[in-house]
Amino acid sequence: MTADTLDPLIHVPARLQIVATLAALPDGDALSFTRLQEMIGLTPGNLITHLRKLEDADYLITEKTGNGPASRTSVALTHRGRAALETYTETLRGLLGGGL
Amino acid sequence: MNGTRDRGDTKTSDEGEGLDPRGAANLLVQTQRQAQRELDFRSPWLSLLAAAGVLVGFGAVWLSVRGQHPYKGPTPAGLIVLYAFVVIRIGSVVYAHRRAQAGVSGRSAQRRQAEGAALAVVLVAVYVVMAALASDGASDGVVYGVYVATATMLVLGTFGAARSAVREDWHELGLSLAVVLVAAGSAFAGPRGVWLSNGVGLCVVLLGNSAAQAWLLRASRSDA
Repeated sequence: MTADTLDPLIHVPARLQIVATLAALPDGDALSFTRLQEMIGLTPGNLITHLRKLEDADYLITEKTGNGPASRTSVALTHRGRAALETYTETLRGLLGGGL
Repeated sequence: MNGTRDRGDTKTSDEGEGLDPRGAANLLVQTQRQAQRELDFRSPWLSLLAAAGVLVGFGAVWLSVRGQHPYKGPTPAGLIVLYAFVVIRIGSVVYAHRRAQAGVSGRSAQRRQAEGAALAVVLVAVYVVMAALASDGASDGVVYGVYVATATMLVLGTFGAARSAVREDWHELGLSLAVVLVAAGSAFAGPRGVWLSNGVGLCVVLLGNSAAQAWLLRASRSDA
């Protein structure tokens, strides 16, 4: 097994942080864009770019509620995204000989 | 987190180059632990504050009843101190919880509301039974001593144990069961001693919990 077997969508520092942070929430919960940005420390533009890539792969879902200044965007991991992180973690374990 | 990092916007990092499996594993574990810490409202300081408060609250009631012969029940002054602790405890937990869960929405928030409503109904039922015992002629020592001092804690402990077992939160399960054991054991101390036994027992449990939380927190930080 080589590092090439790792999911390229997750195997990027920023996206790995996004997926790992969202996975800390219970299934069915979502995190606001602002809080996610605070927790990971990315610029809004950069975060949007990575979120879009993950959303295109159906790893996460974003939902916008409200209008104008009161609008709020929330982000949640999908079952597919959670499964992808589990597979990524297992692959990493395999590459590192069981330790993580 | 200090400042805002700009990460992954170059082709190199976007393709994952430079991120070896060991580095990825470290980043994954570090991010998971940090997220769990930031989303969890519990802290060693909160437990320490509760340990001190519970000792003062139950201690004040014990001081108000220890010289009563026959037993009449806690005095208003003792109850004010106890309820002041309860209010401070609820306020500090709500504040810490809101802070940790800021920006979180979804199913668990709805579940917490349902749990809160269920707990409120059960606590009201505890005091309805207390009123029934009093009207049935049970002694003041049972109604305003052993029963009221232990039933509330038994309900809170059992509720917490069931909730944490479902969530597989073994730390919280241990804490809840310890509260149940303290309450059940304190019932043997009689109407006066039950307040002191509850206060000292809960204080020890909460101090242990605070120490365990501090140790776990330090271990997760040093591993990360």
